[in-house]
Amino acid sequence: MSDEALLAGMAAGDADAMAAFVRRHQGRVYGLALSVVGVPAVAEEVAQEAFVRAWRHAGNYDARRAQASTWLLTITRNVAIDVLRVRRDVVVEPAVVAEMLISTTNDSDRVADSDRITTALRALPREQATAVLLSVHFGLTAREIGEHQQIPLGTAKTRIRTGLARLRAMLEVSHG
Amino acid sequence: MVDPTRCGEVADALAEVATGAASGPDRARVLAHLADCPDCRRELEELTRVADEVLLVAPEHDPPAGFEGAVLARIAALTADEPEAPRAAEHPSEPDEPADLPPAAEPPDAVVTPLRPNRWRRVLPYAAAAVIAGLGGAGVVWQATSDDRDLAAGYRETLDVANGRYFHAAPLLDDAGTQVGHVFLYQGEPSWVFTVLGDTAAPGTYEVSVVTEDGAQTIADYEVGSAGGGAGGTVDTNIYEIERVDLIGSDGVTYTAELSS
Repeated sequence: MSDEALLAGMAAGDADAMAAFVRRHQGRVYGLALSVVGVPAVAEEVAQEAFVRAWRHAGNYDARRAQASTWLLTITRNVAIDVLRVRRDVVVEPAVVAEMLISTTNDSDRVADSDRITTALRALPREQATAVLLSVHFGLTAREIGEHQQIPLGTAKTRIRTGLARLRAMLEVSHG
Repeated sequence: MVDPTRCGEVADALAEVATGAASGPDRARVLAHLADCPDCRRELEELTRVADEVLLVAPEHDPPAGFEGAVLARIAALTADEPEAPRAAEHPSEPDEPADLPPAAEPPDAVVTPLRPNRWRRVLPYAAAAVIAGLGGAGVVWQATSDDRDLAAGYRETLDVANGRYFHAAPLLDDAGTQVGHVFLYQGEPSWVFTVLGDTAAPGTYEVSVVTEDGAQTIADYEVGSAGGGAGGTVDTNIYEIERVDLIGSDGVTYTAELSS
């Protein structure tokens, strides 16, 4: 059954659809949460909350705007960032994690549809890839990235914008 | 006509809106511009797709055992709080948007009753799994009741959904060999046993007795109404060593699930 069909079932209150949806996506949701918050117990809280929110908002999902998996991952990322900002006991080193995210050592655990974006990120100048990952994964603003990387605000902004634009160009090419 | 220089002024902020990281003032500035600029709306849409795809680079990790049941238990608890669902006085309400997340796999309460019957009939067994798995030690009792006669039939789906993490499930039979319910057993930290009786079971109070070669141990007791119900608890023993689970009724009725085979 497609993700779209499962989400439609969830919107109608179908528990079996929810169970199937959780089973299908729990690895990538928990994996993303873990990559942001770094602590397994906290990542589990985040992943649970992400699925609860997906259940609540399943009726708002619009297949024309995003794939179900990326829709779910944006929810997960938002929950994780909220937690990072509230929980002072969670200490992560975003730049180190950003480096790990595109490292080849993680290749065996990558989700099936991540090849294109992983290749594209590796093809970017490293500082742009890092800026994009800090912005997307950790929700850091350009100002925060500038402070973190000890670079001027304008440079941080340019790295995010240029990095995203280059990624778009590369993904368009790989789309054929 | 939009002044193109204004598009340039919001370009950096537009990228940050796409990544979801823009500050409040930047977001407001961009949104104000987008209202009059279809080109930037299209640009934002495309950049947002790219930014969302970046999230795919995070490696997959299997969550801890019981994760799936814990999610379903939370949703079952939320659903039970909805106005149209009958609500138990003992059940804690959950805020719509909790400011702080509850600990993972934390049981909603020691008593959960009853869930919305049709929608949740198959969820209760794995909700029970999550709740009991989340309890700290042996001897803790989780109890649920339901007026759904099909509740017990969920065990096969439970096994399917849980990808076989549940160690065993077996029918509960009366003296005549007629099935009146099911027992679910989970080997884990902690291990637990959960029983469900359908509406053909005689109403009354039942003790849940777990029998091994070392003897019998009562792990829970509960009231069963005309609509059936369910209860269980954590056990110290290895699930593999359990020979039988008895439900011993106060009026002398006993239902049994044989596990040794």
